[in-house]
Amino acid sequence: MLARLRTVGGVEVLELSGKITIADGEGDLHRLVQGLLEAGRTHILISLERVGFMDSGGLGELIACYKRATERGGIIKLLRPTGKVADLLSLSKMTELLEVFQDEGEAIASF
Amino acid sequence: MTPAGKITVSVASRVAHVDLIHAISDQVAALVGFDGDEVLNLGLAVREAAINAIKHGNGMDPRKKVQVVFEFDERALTIAVRDRGRGFDPDAVADPTLPENLLQTSGRGILLMKAFVDRIEVHGGNGKGAEVCLYKVRRDPSLRCHEGN
Repeated sequence: MLARLRTVGGVEVLELSGKITIADGEGDLHRLVQGLLEAGRTHILISLERVGFMDSGGLGELIACYKRATERGGIIKLLRPTGKVADLLSLSKMTELLEVFQDEGEAIASF
Repeated sequence: MTPAGKITVSVASRVAHVDLIHAISDQVAALVGFDGDEVLNLGLAVREAAINAIKHGNGMDPRKKVQVVFEFDERALTIAVRDRGRGFDPDAVADPTLPENLLQTSGRGILLMKAFVDRIEVHGGNGKGAEVCLYKVRRDPSLRCHEGN
């Protein structure tokens, strides 16, 4: 998994690419989000547009990130999941917990 | 039409081997003749069964093997994932989609397995290890798992 971070309107936009699985990416995502939260940057938008694959390990890590953020008074939202990743988020009903946006501007404004 | 066949893979219980099993599943499913989306779905189900076997069945103990048997004929592809664990009742696993379970960070593997193959069965758990069978039908939906293999 690769990641690029930028700040837009006080929101950390974490652009991920590759895959987030139990074997690849799960630990990286944990460390990236943990670093942001410890720095007090608790409004995080995770862009999944370039994440091509995820398994239950990746789904679980997204939930773990969401829980850690909310414990610190923050929030994590998702931007543009596609293909199988979008299917898995919907199937697992995680979209009832993690707000999903297709438009970045709309997502930023929602924080 | 691909003739009937059987491919057996045995790996130590390491998380890194999940990708290997997934890759082999993709190759076998394509060989058998499933299309792109079916290959993707099968691979995800096999991956989740392998994760379950390595993590929960064998407790990530690399001395314990996970065996994956791909068996196919003109009707279906059956994948048996075997570990040394106690097994589980797939119908007794908490539904991760219920509101009270959405915050759980694990427990979604069975949901994904059930979603992406035609049927799953769990055998064993009597001290001799457990077996998760995944079925993906090509023609005849009545194919059953070869129990005791």
